[in-house]
Amino acid sequence: MKILIVEDEKPLSDSMVEYLAEEGHLCEAVYNYLDATEKIGMYQYDIIVVDINLPDGNGLDLIRLIKKQSITLGIIIISALNSLENRIEGLEIGADHYLTKPFHLAELNAHLKSINRRISYGGSNQILFNEIKLIPDEHRAYVHDVEIILTKKEYELLLFFISNKNKVITKSGLAEYLWGDYMDLADSYDFIYTHIKNLRRKLLKKGCEDYIKTIYGLGYKFELS
Amino acid sequence: MRLLNKITLNLFAISLFIFLVGIVIFYYVLREQVDQNINLELKKREISINKEFDAAHSSINPTVNLNDTIIITPIQQPHRAETFSDTLLYNPETNKYAIYRQLGFVKTIHDQGYYIQIFKPLEETDRLIIRIIIMMNILVILIIITLIIANRHSSRQDWKVFYDTITKINNYDVNTHEEFLLQHSDIKEFEDLNRVLSTMTERIKSDYLNLKEYIENASHEIQTPLAIINSKMELLLQSGDMKEKQYKTVADAYEASNRLSRLNRTLILLAKIENRQFPESRPVNPAIMINHQLESLEDLIDSKKISIVRNLGDDVTVSMNPYLAEILFVNLIKNALRHNIAGGELNIGLSVKCLKIANSGPPLQVDPETLFKRFHTSSSSPESLGLGLSIVQKICTMYGFKVSYSYQDNMHVMQVVF
Repeated sequence: MKILIVEDEKPLSDSMVEYLAEEGHLCEAVYNYLDATEKIGMYQYDIIVVDINLPDGNGLDLIRLIKKQSITLGIIIISALNSLENRIEGLEIGADHYLTKPFHLAELNAHLKSINRRISYGGSNQILFNEIKLIPDEHRAYVHDVEIILTKKEYELLLFFISNKNKVITKSGLAEYLWGDYMDLADSYDFIYTHIKNLRRKLLKKGCEDYIKTIYGLGYKFELS
Repeated sequence: MRLLNKITLNLFAISLFIFLVGIVIFYYVLREQVDQNINLELKKREISINKEFDAAHSSINPTVNLNDTIIITPIQQPHRAETFSDTLLYNPETNKYAIYRQLGFVKTIHDQGYYIQIFKPLEETDRLIIRIIIMMNILVILIIITLIIANRHSSRQDWKVFYDTITKINNYDVNTHEEFLLQHSDIKEFEDLNRVLSTMTERIKSDYLNLKEYIENASHEIQTPLAIINSKMELLLQSGDMKEKQYKTVADAYEASNRLSRLNRTLILLAKIENRQFPESRPVNPAIMINHQLESLEDLIDSKKISIVRNLGDDVTVSMNPYLAEILFVNLIKNALRHNIAGGELNIGLSVKCLKIANSGPPLQVDPETLFKRFHTSSSSPESLGLGLSIVQKICTMYGFKVSYSYQDNMHVMQVVF
């Protein structure tokens, strides 16, 4: 997947590039509006990650420009301005997702993957991880081709894990991915613990290997043992 | 105009007016009384003349009208002085004694001294005097009453501005977006007061807004560095070549910075609600939202073995911003779940008038008043930001809803009255 990151804060941009490159994506970073328009004119990207406040322009204008050229391009907005109008406007002009700074890299990655699936396969694909098969369109999960009945949150959790496999997933990252902003996340960790316990039990029951590792005090890791 | 001058002038104007009107009324009333009196006298004269006529044509002695009576007594010593005095005379017509004023004087005719007494009845004039006194009293009382009423009325007009100012200051809220407008007065003191108050409130408001803007800007600016910190730490955690102790250190720092991010985000939300940056309202259906929330929290509800009793009016709609509505209901439900006990109950009742969310739990250890305060957390959930109910209250205030807490039958009840 080829990704262009338009973010004027270089350290943040570097983090994104590093995280996404490890996932095997091809990442390029530009730090202002002008360079971004230049890059878009010259190269073909799958997904563009845009900050709204750029030193020499507005990210929303950039999105309008991109959408004139290519409809299929995926767009994720990242912004410190979490205003509703911005969010709605961004989504209206064609962005696929809106992330508010500060966000979790794992969350960005999960959204990138989901957008990519939608663009590349029209969503009608399946995600395979060893014996686990997910069909995102139908929110169904299979282990050894036998369907396991998951609740909505458990399904999302499993998808998030597989999207960020072999990465350390923090509890707070999970909580925000599952419940979004503005929750007093006080006992979200309890929720997560409950969800993971249930998910793991359901997977193991169908003969799935135990991929979910608990990292004490921090979170979880979904990896091959 | 100064207040004192205004009051004096008012009083003067009112008094002058009443006085002039009073004089005119008094003149006519007095005139009427005197006329009546004279009429009465004339009537008496008429009777007496008639009687005299009748007597002239008969042998009957005419009755003596005491008014016309002249008593002439010859006297030896001619040096008696002229005297006025009161006296009682018998009136044969009425068979009564009546008071008369008499004048006695001496007249010498042909060296013979005569003492002459003439009379005038006092009865009629007495009656006139009494009537005048009564009239005057009535007039004076009327004048006083009118004066009081007129004075009160005009004072009320003057003081109206003052009371209006007091009410407005009393209700002044630096958070409202209404302008602080005071009425104009033609009284200098009140105008001064209003001017001082207007400047003061303007200054307070601008200071407050500046401070708020500063906090908001700060919060926004903090977001970007926080994003950098978080992303760097996330990368560090992924690197995998750390010792367990280092891992723990980074993890703790990461958690703390995440907490800071959430806190900051929530504070920005609170500020936005306060600034009314969620203007568009439309009818939302709380029942749908609540059911949706309960569904997404299903797993947790199951794990805590909480039984839910729903009594939701399906066709109830509330006009508010859908985003804020979502936040409101989520926070209330989550609050009721958090402070629930294992195997407890969660009752949600929704009617056109109110939303009631009740959960089982031991009585509060703290003052219910503090529940809605920012950063109030119970000791049992240290990760809580303590802003949930604060958000609930802010949203309710914005839409004029009333949110209250009570404890009934071992249940914590949160009630929102629409």
